[in-house]
Amino acid sequence: MSEPAQTALTVTGLSVAYGNVIAVHDATFSVAEGDACAITGPNGNGKSSILMGVTGMVHRRGTVEIFGAPARNGDVRWAARHGLTLVPERRQLYPNLTTTDNILLGCYGWTRNIRRARSSASFGRAIDLFPELKPHLKQAAGTLSGGQQQMVAIARGLAANPKILAVDEPCLGLAEAVAKRVYDALAQIHDEGTTLIVVEEAPRRALTLCNRRVEVRNGMAGPS
Amino acid sequence: MMKLGNLIIAGIITGSIYATFAVCVAVWYRVSNILNLAVGDFAMVGALGVDNLYRVKGLPLPVAIITTLAVVAVFAYLYDLVVLRIAQDRRQMEGIVVTFFFTFALSFFIDGVAKMLFGTDVHAAPGLWNGNSLTLGSLHFERAGILVLACAVIIGGAFWVYIRYTLGGKALEASGENVVGARIVGIDTRRYRLWIFIGTAVIAAIFGIVESPITGFTYLSGATISLTGFIAAAYGGFRKPGRALLAGLFIGVLEALLGGYVSAEYGDTVLYAILATLILAWPRGLGFESAVSG
Repeated sequence: MSEPAQTALTVTGLSVAYGNVIAVHDATFSVAEGDACAITGPNGNGKSSILMGVTGMVHRRGTVEIFGAPARNGDVRWAARHGLTLVPERRQLYPNLTTTDNILLGCYGWTRNIRRARSSASFGRAIDLFPELKPHLKQAAGTLSGGQQQMVAIARGLAANPKILAVDEPCLGLAEAVAKRVYDALAQIHDEGTTLIVVEEAPRRALTLCNRRVEVRNGMAGPS
Repeated sequence: MMKLGNLIIAGIITGSIYATFAVCVAVWYRVSNILNLAVGDFAMVGALGVDNLYRVKGLPLPVAIITTLAVVAVFAYLYDLVVLRIAQDRRQMEGIVVTFFFTFALSFFIDGVAKMLFGTDVHAAPGLWNGNSLTLGSLHFERAGILVLACAVIIGGAFWVYIRYTLGGKALEASGENVVGARIVGIDTRRYRLWIFIGTAVIAAIFGIVESPITGFTYLSGATISLTGFIAAAYGGFRKPGRALLAGLFIGVLEALLGGYVSAEYGDTVLYAILATLILAWPRGLGFESAVSG
């Protein structure tokens, strides 16, 4: 008999507000270890704000537990150290740094030693994930195409050696063929044992990868 | 030829000071989006502080130097803790003009305190390497100038190695490139801002100590250094320390040549006229447009 999966992420009563505007209200859901969970819903309904609140990029109300440990509010580094890494919407790369340096900085959450980072399994795995990036490793990230930049953002997230990878709108503005390539890479990451959370406007695409879905409507979230 | 060679040497030495201050302005701007107009005032505090502790208070020179640098570091730490944290982090003030005034005010504050403590006369820290100038053929090298150049090369080289070969240096670059992206990978951008502010203040103070035997300092000398460093940094779009460094050297050599061949009295006036003309004629190429538009 297999043991029941551990809960990777528990979100209870999560609310996120920007000034007087409430983006997320009282969201409650959980993600088991090994799950691929889609957070879906129309644009502007608070999907990305859920990830921002969960990862600590913005302050929140409510509680978030990562593998049972209560997450500190607004502390991205704590979340990263405990295994939750965000691949943000619009990639948020460092445009004048090379592709390699962008990916390498993903290791910053667990080491300050550049040699240790370069020789680590997680950096090697991140570099190998997208062979099509290899000719561009010394190129400034800002000069890459949109699809290549998305690949760099995912590779940077993977270099952090996450147990949970939260990916926000990975296919925003990408051509269909590139979007499929990105989803193939996410499927590979999931197959290798990383828990995935994918924010996606298009539920059909998300459900090709995900076995669970959280639907967000008007800032209210719950299992679909 | 001899005159030209000596002028170029003098220009490179002066230029290395401008270059260092320009790099200090550019590096801190990258991590904080604030232009540090007080960087030259820290140099003045270094020079006059060491002079005061050594000549007036009678402390041994190494103790005077260490005490002055420690005071500068602690002051920079407190300023970041009290003023910059409130200005940038709590109230989320943005924009080049708003944040500009926080260091402008700091510059006035330091000048006022320095006037009370050190008076209005010209002073200088004692020379660290005394003796006649060194000669190579017909070229003359002032010992203090060689020290200035050596400091610039060592500090510039250390910074280059840090940026190029350490993860901390790349994190520093990332903080300047994209604050949100830096936070995502766990970089504490506030801590970088603090350490760079303290680091550049101490570097400025060291340069003040080393350079003051050449020119002498008053409580107002910091403003001139800040201005030239600011202009050199502007030529690098404020965000490119490498270009700021070259611009600083260029301004130093141009200033020396103008002083030697055009007019010792009006050299600075002609210099700033040339710099202004270059900015007006070629703003995009010099990165000045991006500096102003952000």
